[in-house]
Amino acid sequence: MNASVRLSLSSLRAHRRRFAGTFVAVFLGVAFLAGTLVMGDTLRASFDSMFGEATSGTDAVVRGADAITTPGEAQGIRQPVPTSLVNAIERVPGVAAAAPNIQGAGQLVGADGEPIGGQGPPTLAGNWITDPKLNSYRLAEGRAPARSGEVVVNRGAAKKGGLKIGDTTVLRTPDPVKVTIVGLATFGGEDGMAQVTFTGMTRADAEKYLTAKPGEAAGILVRAGPGVGQQELVHRLTPVLPKGVEAITGQESAQENTDMISSQFLTVFTTFLLVFSGVAMLVATFSIHNTFAIVVAQRTRENALLRALGASRRQVSASALAEASVVAVAASAAGLAGGIGIAAGLQALFPAIGFPFPDGDLVIKTLSMALPLVVGVVVCLGSALLPAVRAGRTAPLAALRETAVDASGASRGRAVIGAGLGALAVALALTGVLVSPSVWPAGLGALLALVSFVILGPVAATTAVRLLGGPLDRLRGVSGALARRNALRSPRRTAATASALMIGVAVVSLFTVFGASLKATMDQTVSRSFAGDLAVSNPSFGAGGSGLSPRLAPAIQRLPEVDTAVGLGRGVAEVDGRGRALTVTDPAALARTFDLGTVQGSLARLGTDGIAITRTEADRLHLHTGDTARLAFTDGKKEDFTVRAVYGRSELAGDYVITRAAWAPHRIQDSDTLVAVTLKSGVSADAGRAAVTKVAAEYGNPQVQTRDDYARSSAGGIDMMLTLVYALLALAVLIALLGIANTLTLALHERTRELGLLRAVGQTRAQLRAMVRWESVLVAAFGTTGGLGLGAFLGWVLVKASDGASDTAFAFAVPPARLAVVALVGLAAGALAGLRPARRAARLDVLRAIAME
Amino acid sequence: MTTTTAVRAAARVVGAVKVYGGGDTAVHALDGVDVAFPEGRFTAIMGPSGSGKSTLMHCAAGLDTLTSGAAYVGDTELGSLDDRRLTLLRRDRIGFVFQAFNLVPTLTVAENITLPLDLAGGRGDPEWIDALVDVVGLRDRLRHRPCELSGGQQQRVAVARAFAGRPEVVFADEPTGNLDSRSGAEVLGLLGDAVRRTGRTVVMVTHDPVAAAHADEVVFLADGRLVDRMQSPTADTVLDRMKAFEVRS
Repeated sequence: MNASVRLSLSSLRAHRRRFAGTFVAVFLGVAFLAGTLVMGDTLRASFDSMFGEATSGTDAVVRGADAITTPGEAQGIRQPVPTSLVNAIERVPGVAAAAPNIQGAGQLVGADGEPIGGQGPPTLAGNWITDPKLNSYRLAEGRAPARSGEVVVNRGAAKKGGLKIGDTTVLRTPDPVKVTIVGLATFGGEDGMAQVTFTGMTRADAEKYLTAKPGEAAGILVRAGPGVGQQELVHRLTPVLPKGVEAITGQESAQENTDMISSQFLTVFTTFLLVFSGVAMLVATFSIHNTFAIVVAQRTRENALLRALGASRRQVSASALAEASVVAVAASAAGLAGGIGIAAGLQALFPAIGFPFPDGDLVIKTLSMALPLVVGVVVCLGSALLPAVRAGRTAPLAALRETAVDASGASRGRAVIGAGLGALAVALALTGVLVSPSVWPAGLGALLALVSFVILGPVAATTAVRLLGGPLDRLRGVSGALARRNALRSPRRTAATASALMIGVAVVSLFTVFGASLKATMDQTVSRSFAGDLAVSNPSFGAGGSGLSPRLAPAIQRLPEVDTAVGLGRGVAEVDGRGRALTVTDPAALARTFDLGTVQGSLARLGTDGIAITRTEADRLHLHTGDTARLAFTDGKKEDFTVRAVYGRSELAGDYVITRAAWAPHRIQDSDTLVAVTLKSGVSADAGRAAVTKVAAEYGNPQVQTRDDYARSSAGGIDMMLTLVYALLALAVLIALLGIANTLTLALHERTRELGLLRAVGQTRAQLRAMVRWESVLVAAFGTTGGLGLGAFLGWVLVKASDGASDTAFAFAVPPARLAVVALVGLAAGALAGLRPARRAARLDVLRAIAME
Repeated sequence: MTTTTAVRAAARVVGAVKVYGGGDTAVHALDGVDVAFPEGRFTAIMGPSGSGKSTLMHCAAGLDTLTSGAAYVGDTELGSLDDRRLTLLRRDRIGFVFQAFNLVPTLTVAENITLPLDLAGGRGDPEWIDALVDVVGLRDRLRHRPCELSGGQQQRVAVARAFAGRPEVVFADEPTGNLDSRSGAEVLGLLGDAVRRTGRTVVMVTHDPVAAAHADEVVFLADGRLVDRMQSPTADTVLDRMKAFEVRS
């Protein structure tokens, strides 16, 4: 065996403990990365198989040929097909069966009166297809719906809502429909299609409640007879289909569905996780680099001796790198196993929290193993590179010198480079914010700011620790003073340790500030443009929920307390070739309950051929009042609308407003997203709210909120996202803490003799523990302060740049309470990280410590 | 106990036995030692290496525990004290000077001198400390760090620290072991002065007859037993006595 390798192996064996921290950091990062990839692939594969199984009986799907997709939506809205087409299709030779597939939004109300789902995945309702092979749901218990009001629900939804066969509940379509559950269904062998809820009604009920006009369906499912392939079936169907209707094979349809889930949910989900494992890896890089740097410094004498005995620079460096690669490979390999373990654990955990995750083998692709392995090894070796080179440069004479306190790090060159980069970063960020608002220069500036913080760390460490530790002397006496001096011993080491935590805290505060700003923005939007007193809405998120009954607004309008009640519905049309969301409402009432900014023209008489457009859209399309805009609807019809009004503010009202009468011929499933209510003067908000709530109870009991509550609750989803982000960042912070603990342990090892001395002259164990703990807290405080500052700055840059770059006015908000919590968590984490090193140091045998060479 | 001797003992051990290891490999570092270190005296403990002199000091100073027998500082029996009480006893009633690495590198000279007092949270006696600083001759070095001092200066700081809290007894473990003879003589002079001028008690472990000659009395240890005592030693008498051991062993 090569001498360098032999040396590094024996050194690894001798100092296993020193590398424990590095090992754990690489392990955690790689495991998280591998776990994410494996889980993503497994989920994708299981969705594929679930859909394949559920729709295996469908050989062709007949549907509207054109889809209108509005921005922010994955699946377009298609023109419905007439159900009468079923008869024509059934007559085509080779067709064994055909059934209309009527689908719409329908949210079930659980046994506790709360709606089921609605926070993300769709809540669907449809006709229960009687041909079991065409129906993607299978009856698991009970029977199919036979009479009006009878429904089958997927088992997952029933479990979630505490419903069972025989129960009567309400289905919001959005008009509340009283339904009795007669059967429970499964999808592809699971309790449901992920978290999507499904309610199967009789065909007559489905046509009545889920479509605008009876006799329409989202599509027609077709099963081929024996000997007819899917492609062949499509060929035979196509000639009988009218214009604007197409046929695709069952496989294509299933593929479209899984692709949609992949792109809409899985890709977002895995990308999200990958970003956070990237942050964790970045943090890990710092702690790994630090560990190797310290180990090399501690081994100066040993390396000098080797050099004195004739080892070349290269040999000494190689031996240090070999050591790093052994750790890297071992930890990465363990991380891969850990990642598979995480994926397997989640596979077991998901069903327990009500998220169907099909059984079956984990999908472990070469890439999901190779990538984390490479990342782990590269991160580890890359972090060890500089220390290894430094080890090679050890002068042979260093063997004879006493290693003194390390004052390196605070060099002038570093200060100059760091300050220069910092200035450049601020300049770039400010350019992106103030001069030519754009997110890219601002983002680049943000990145540079991070780099300059890391470079300036050792320079800042001395001042920062002195400042932060100032109160310690007075509060904690000599233990505090010693802690502070110890943290100042090696500014570079302190800074490197703190940098890891700084990055973690910076990302946390960035998200905190950004989240608070988004909330403030929403709040501002509502309070600026919502002029009503009450808002009625169904809280939902993503594709879920069923909206409000269009009959609710007129019912509220009839109340004596109410001045105006206006419902906002949603329509889609293509304007100038692009899918656009339309606001379908009573425009005159809209103008009374919303502040639309400066209005040119009038919204009072749009009629069936008039439209109101926001200023930004009007400018984009070069439209003025009196001009004509052509709208293409999902039913294939194109109509010309006269622009009768151009308004300034679009945040709640949307970009295009048409009347209900104009929308009626093209409507799909009717629902309102919001009913805005103005009370008559003299009616108190409480009295008005009570009256409106009473009426709303008859329409599926949606939420009735005052203006302020509505503003607050519109931002509710942000808190949920923030919680998830915090949970994911916990990993990065954990790695940073391991880094602090590890550095501290190594540093204490260096100071063994000193600790022995302190104990001999009368430092109690408690005092020694306090000293170590406070040192840890100080390092954490340095990292936390830097992170808070950096994160807040980045948050400001991001918010301001988005504000300048987009039409929406972004508000910037700093949440002091939340940031204070972040700071406290950082400090507490520091105390926690110091716990173990402190305990170990306190257990030190005084005599042996003094005698140690 | 009843004190019959004219001079009270600042520290003493009775029937001190210290065994390292067990079974066949057991080593008796101390094998039944009775010795008292009288108050206001400078006592040197001598003996060849492996004689148990360092173990004796460590046990008498509460840094190590006896296997059997008892160690006293003043009237306090050390064996009955837990780690915390022992630490407090070392802090408040004992001073230490070690062979090397006596000082905390992050603290200044002044802070090192008052370290035990600071750890106790008290201010000590400023006049006494002020006088000490002059005695050890480090007034112009008070704000320096230990790494800026010579070895001899460092040991003088250690001596000042050892006496800072007016301890009942100061234990010195080869305090001149790492010094050249001139610096060594200075440090020994300081220890002797402290005893003779201010009535402190010093117990010093050494293997150097010249160092032992600074003491009022030398106790000789061999193979874990007390074998001789010598009043008013000189370097020559001590050397002769030591040579006698070597011949015997």
